[in-house]
Amino acid sequence: MYLNSLQEQSPMNAAPSTNRGAGLAALIPDAPKMDLEKEEICLEVQNLNLYYGGKRALKDVSLRVARNRVTAFIGPSGCGKSTLLRCFNRMNDLVDGCRVEGSILLNGQDIYARGINVAQLRRQVGMVFQKPNPFPKSIYENVAYGLRLQGVNNRRLLDEVVERSLRGAALWDEVKDRLSDSALGLSGGQQQRLVIARAIAIEPEVLLLDEPASALDPISTLKIEELIYELKENYTIVIVTHNMQQAARVSDYTAFMYLGELVEFDDTNTLFTNPATKQTEDYVTGRYG
Amino acid sequence: MSTDEVSSRQPSPQEGEAPPQLNQWIRAGDPWIWLTAGAVTLSLVAVVGLLLLLAVRGLGHFWPANVVAASYAEANGQIVPLLGEIIESEEVSGTRARDSGYAVTAPHVTRLLIKLGNRDSDGQDFRTVLAERLTDRRYPLNVMVLERREWGNFYGFLAAVKEQGRVVASGEQAWPVLQERLARALALFEEIRTLERGSIGTINYAMERLRLKERRLTLDDALTAEAQAELTSSRAELENRYTGLQETLTQLYSAIKRDTLVGQLADGREVEISLAKVVRAYRPNEMGTGDKIGSYLTRFWEFVSDEPRESNTEGGIFPAIFGTVLMVLIMAILVTPMGVMAAVYLREYAKQGPLTRLIRIAVNNLAGVPSVVYGVFGLGFFVYFLGGRIDQTFFPEALPSPTFGTPGLLWSSLTLALLTLPVVIVATEEGLTRIPRAIREGSLALGATQAETLWRVVLPMAAPGMMTGLILAVARAAGEVAPLMMVGVVKLAPALPLDGNFPYLHLDRKLMHMGFHIYDVGFQSPNVEAARPLVYATAFLLVMVIVVLNLAAIRIRSRLRERYRSTE
Amino acid sequence: MDKNRVGQHISAEFNNELADIASRVLLMGGMVEQQIRDALEALVEGNQKLGAVVVSNDHRVNALEVAIDEECMQVIARRQPAAGDLRLVVTAIKVITDLERIGDEAEGIGHVALTYVPPGPGANMELRTMGRHVSQMVRNALDAFARTDVELALQVARDEEMVDQEYDSLVRQLITYMMEDPRTISGTIQLLWAARALERIADHARNIAEYIVFLVRGRDVRHLTVDQMEKAARDVRR
Repeated sequence: MYLNSLQEQSPMNAAPSTNRGAGLAALIPDAPKMDLEKEEICLEVQNLNLYYGGKRALKDVSLRVARNRVTAFIGPSGCGKSTLLRCFNRMNDLVDGCRVEGSILLNGQDIYARGINVAQLRRQVGMVFQKPNPFPKSIYENVAYGLRLQGVNNRRLLDEVVERSLRGAALWDEVKDRLSDSALGLSGGQQQRLVIARAIAIEPEVLLLDEPASALDPISTLKIEELIYELKENYTIVIVTHNMQQAARVSDYTAFMYLGELVEFDDTNTLFTNPATKQTEDYVTGRYG
Repeated sequence: MSTDEVSSRQPSPQEGEAPPQLNQWIRAGDPWIWLTAGAVTLSLVAVVGLLLLLAVRGLGHFWPANVVAASYAEANGQIVPLLGEIIESEEVSGTRARDSGYAVTAPHVTRLLIKLGNRDSDGQDFRTVLAERLTDRRYPLNVMVLERREWGNFYGFLAAVKEQGRVVASGEQAWPVLQERLARALALFEEIRTLERGSIGTINYAMERLRLKERRLTLDDALTAEAQAELTSSRAELENRYTGLQETLTQLYSAIKRDTLVGQLADGREVEISLAKVVRAYRPNEMGTGDKIGSYLTRFWEFVSDEPRESNTEGGIFPAIFGTVLMVLIMAILVTPMGVMAAVYLREYAKQGPLTRLIRIAVNNLAGVPSVVYGVFGLGFFVYFLGGRIDQTFFPEALPSPTFGTPGLLWSSLTLALLTLPVVIVATEEGLTRIPRAIREGSLALGATQAETLWRVVLPMAAPGMMTGLILAVARAAGEVAPLMMVGVVKLAPALPLDGNFPYLHLDRKLMHMGFHIYDVGFQSPNVEAARPLVYATAFLLVMVIVVLNLAAIRIRSRLRERYRSTE
Repeated sequence: MDKNRVGQHISAEFNNELADIASRVLLMGGMVEQQIRDALEALVEGNQKLGAVVVSNDHRVNALEVAIDEECMQVIARRQPAAGDLRLVVTAIKVITDLERIGDEAEGIGHVALTYVPPGPGANMELRTMGRHVSQMVRNALDAFARTDVELALQVARDEEMVDQEYDSLVRQLITYMMEDPRTISGTIQLLWAARALERIADHARNIAEYIVFLVRGRDVRHLTVDQMEKAARDVRR
């Protein structure tokens, strides 16, 4: 991984020099350029269609999510970005009348295949929701919840995981003295980080974030964004956000969705400076859709 | 607005319109506020009035009132001495008095209700008299009131105290002697009661069990010689112990019968009363306020903690309070899991659709079914069908006398559980609905199954909702009477359903209940006048019991709410 | 400015701000253009008064640059423009930098005009021609900005190469003059200065043209040959 990024950033490897004129330009290191072709693919969506009853909520969506990268879904309300996100851990199964066609491959394995253990899948693909939703338990028990579900009751192991997860979620220093206090006493931003700690305690591969900062104040939002940046070292992150600037700040790749369709999927720099489609341009610049 | 004000200052050409201030007052919505506030006031007055009435009518009964001695001119002109407590006075029309044979000319007369006591001597212990004919009223200090275990109160004067028929004290010296000997008699009585209820009760219970065991063995064709021998030896041992106890008892009985007192009635007749029959002796007219308050509290405590006497018109109502609370608790234990499980299925597992809606409607309607219908159902299904089957299967040895095939505690609780089930279901569902979807999803997203989510997160959070249901259920169940009359509540239960004999909680026993007690004392009592205050007092206590049960539940609920406050 | 480029935002205020930036860039361009024309006129006709006007007007151009800069910064801070809007604002910032430089060069020519006395009417024809070409380039660049016209911008880039050649031949010619008659050296050196300034102006015009390709196509075409630039500009993704 480290080697990979090094190579990417080295001038020798900088994007095709064919359309470069003077040799000088070629010597200046390119900004880290994202190229999906060179990434290891973690999740692959293939011709996904999703129906709520008779309504088609996702239309023929295909995209690839790169490992250890942040992929953002943006788009107006009701465009299907959350729906798509919730397909990754089959949260849509809970909705009555929801039907999925097509496939999603997690490490090459179709998660909609028959005989997939959904609970097991959700341990691999963690999720954090829009509103912080800590359980009405202590901070400690919130983080330990996932492990307890798996039958882990060894106090030492739990202590270790709780500390590691809280540190991972940049919350340890704030709560280490009151682990047995109710999680509901934390501030909104702390709660959201606690929820993230809870999710990473079971060491998923993928972390789905469904508008994780939409209910938070700007400072808490920035903390969450910083956390996302740190978490991508170890996790593949998919984030849905209403906040375009946030997508621009945190993500490596961005998908723009509109009316259930994937309009444009590109590296974030390109999508926000020079989108290929007028729809995307209009959306990211705040024009009438 | 301002134009209105301007025009209102000018003389208005239109007559008959409401004055502008009134208009404005109406438009500002003030009448609405008054109306709503009025409704609240009315409800408040109704509730407070109810409690006040119960408290005054019921609790006044325990006050040791002064005893009046007076002369009364009967309708036939005869003058008789009367001694008793004036209970109440009312205005009646002269006609009614004339109908009773009195020569009354005034259109209205005052009629007094006097409690005379001495039912054993006079046959009636209450009398209504015309106030104007009651003359020469005095409050002699040495009037003595005896509360007795039978025949009601005695009003009169203490003449003498006897031991084994021999006078040991008479006149004024008799009073302290009486107090002293009465204390001894009461102690003896307590001893006798403990012996009868406790040790002898236990032996009787064991004997009965031995009998049932023997019968069971006979039925099973397993009555071998050695079993027979074992039974006989156990029985012999029990009988041995019984004989010993019986002897002690006989001694105690003769001891308690040692002392008697001689009381003098208002008309000079003398009666001899055994101290064994006396509960309390006091002289109300010479008591100060402090003494009276002390006596009041004692009597009130006795009412709460003692057993009823004289076909429920005297003594306490402890078995009824105990029965009510125990039945409600068992009901709560039965109804909570049932209701919660049903609600969980309806809300969490069942596919929401026309069927679940139909079930909900049915459940809600079930809450509206008259409670007596549940009683009929309980009697038909629980008592006769279920109870009968249980008896045939598990208690064949007791037949033909039924064990569970007769109304009892279990069936009462079960019937009430059925009655309150809808309330618990609805409230629990409400609690479950209030739990944010995000919380469930949070749990599911961590790899929990639906059952794990339910058990670890949802149910603890729905606990306040369940408690609400339980509070409503308890409130309703504690006040229910009609169905209970059919499935287990009786006028007088021989024993409490909870005692020291294995298995301690006797679900098959009949029980007393405050609601039914009110009905029984109020309408089935042979002595209406004596019973009336008890009706109010019991009603007051019933309200208190319900309040206490509810407060306890509300306290638990608020504690649960506190724990989960910010998620609601 | 193309209505589509600034208009149709949900926020009408944002529309106004972007339109204002664009129109002030064009206003600045117009002023600079006028400065170039006046400076050339002053130089070629020996109009020293006009030269003084050019010199004294430069501060107005500078002031406008500062104002536009500030406005762009405000828009970035408050609107966080993205995509086309972002490119517009960035382009505006860059364009005004170059325009200001052009203004400075025009001022330099104005300074030359203060002391330079033309040898006679009809002299300096080549300089005159080059000046016309250069001011046409500046006007084209500004038109390309106003109309978001990539083709016109490419034209400016091609013209720049032509102006380079003109400059080279002018320099050779002026050196010949100086060698022929050393008395003309001081005047000719002043003309050399002016020619150098015009050549610089053409460079800045080309820079502006490159920004316009970036603005419209989102491709950075700086430091490329004209052919490469054309290829990049016409390689349309959409």
